Amino acid sequence: MKDKITSNPGPGLQRRKRVEFVFRALMLTSSLVVSLSLILILVSIIWKSLPALKLSMITRTPGSGYYLGKEGGILNAIIGSLQLTLGATLIALLIALPAVIYLNTYLRSKSFLAEAIRFALDVLWGIPSIVYGAFGFLVMLFFHLRASLLAGMITVALVELPILSRVMDETIRLVPAELKETAFSLGANRWQTTTRVVLRQVFPGLVTAVLIALGRGLGDAASVLFTAGYTDRLTTSLLQPVATLPLAIFFQLNSPFPEVQQRAYASAAVLTLLILLISLITRSLSRKLSRHKIY
Amino acid sequence: MESRGRLSLKNLNVYYGKNHVLKNVNLEIPEKKITVIIGPSGCGKTTLLKCLNRLLDEGEEARVEGQIIVDGQDIYAPEIDVTLIRKKMGLLSQKPQVLPMSIYDNVAFGPRLFGLKHRPQLDQLVEKYLKLAGLWDEVKDRLHEPASRLSIGQQQRLCLARGLAVEPEIILGDEPTSALDPQSSRNVEQQLLRLKQDYTIVLVTHILRQARRLADYVAFLYLGELVEFGPASEIFSNPKDPRTMAYITGEIS
Repeated sequence: MKDKITSNPGPGLQRRKRVEFVFRALMLTSSLVVSLSLILILVSIIWKSLPALKLSMITRTPGSGYYLGKEGGILNAIIGSLQLTLGATLIALLIALPAVIYLNTYLRSKSFLAEAIRFALDVLWGIPSIVYGAFGFLVMLFFHLRASLLAGMITVALVELPILSRVMDETIRLVPAELKETAFSLGANRWQTTTRVVLRQVFPGLVTAVLIALGRGLGDAASVLFTAGYTDRLTTSLLQPVATLPLAIFFQLNSPFPEVQQRAYASAAVLTLLILLISLITRSLSRKLSRHKIY
Repeated sequence: MESRGRLSLKNLNVYYGKNHVLKNVNLEIPEKKITVIIGPSGCGKTTLLKCLNRLLDEGEEARVEGQIIVDGQDIYAPEIDVTLIRKKMGLLSQKPQVLPMSIYDNVAFGPRLFGLKHRPQLDQLVEKYLKLAGLWDEVKDRLHEPASRLSIGQQQRLCLARGLAVEPEIILGDEPTSALDPQSSRNVEQQLLRLKQDYTIVLVTHILRQARRLADYVAFLYLGELVEFGPASEIFSNPKDPRTMAYITGEIS
């Protein structure tokens, strides 16, 4: 018996092994493509930006003649991007959170209204951000606003809103019914169940959702193109135009001067590192926050 | 005071959509006794239990008809506040379901819902009910650790303590030992036997031996119908309905 098992596996077994080998190799290749592309992007951007990488890049605003290759940095765009994105994310959160809580606390998951809201959010998610930019531009004209931090913030908030809402919604929907029933059976009403139990359980997920939206807002160029404007100075008022990193890349890359193009890559490196930083913070935060989480 | 914890079900019907799950159930559950509901899976045991504290309201698409009277009040009457009904009943579910917070906060959860904030009083309650559930000695040094770090058996006793802390009159158990090892099961059973002095206990189980160990009264449900109800000794030794007989002897399960 033993001989048969080890020495004569038969044709079927050989074939199964080959099939497994081939598919395993294919899947490994895909995994490598995914992770290598991140490394490739980082390396090529940093490589291209090496000549321009100076501390002054991130500590100074553009001096006169900066766009011809003279002294200065992109501090205006770094600070501007942070101002704009943090503001936009805050606005988006203030709208998304109540909406998502309402959706999950007071509507039955199969109800018409709930389905309609989720469908609308999914469509909004898919709309390209240039369309939001165009829409924001129309709203701006309507209110006689100029391109400004405020207008940019509102537009980026619109871009982030569906992402933030749907990611938070999916997180909350994963909460098991039994957990809610437990709170109910102790006498909690729906509001108490959501605020004291459900949100606690999903808090790490909510933080992740906010940071995903933040990353998306930080990198979006099309939505701020018409609405936020651009400036070489730091922005101190909601009604002034504001510089952003994606547009800093866009404008500098368009320049005929190689020194300026290198700076575009340096700006891209700064933006990428910012996003990387946000992802790292997300990871370590959500680990810390899930101390009490069950499952 | 005399009739605290008395439950009666009158013409209770439950439907999930077109599915008729409980069929005209009439049942008087005596106070301060353990009433065990037995029956094969899918016969409506859990549904019956969830009717009692109106948990069915929260699910999708269940319709309840008839009356459930607790201490002389119809709990499905429109003017009744559902949270107060649930406060009268502590529920132990199949799988212990701890809340995502510390051991202490789990027990204090119910009292806090109803506005108790005074810390020394909360401390006292937490200690009292953890002792009552037989868990205090095991957790008194780590009350502020996440409840999810307890073993499954400890979690179920924590759930018991948490349920008792809302000061219910009735304890509902939905196969509360089915996820536990034999030692922990015995532990929970012992707590239940002790608790029946002060509480009305309604227990759903599919373990006949457990029913024999615990029950004062037994209700046999079959296909949504209440087939037989009576003192445990009678049901087990001398069932009147042939279906009860068949279930007890293991012919249907």
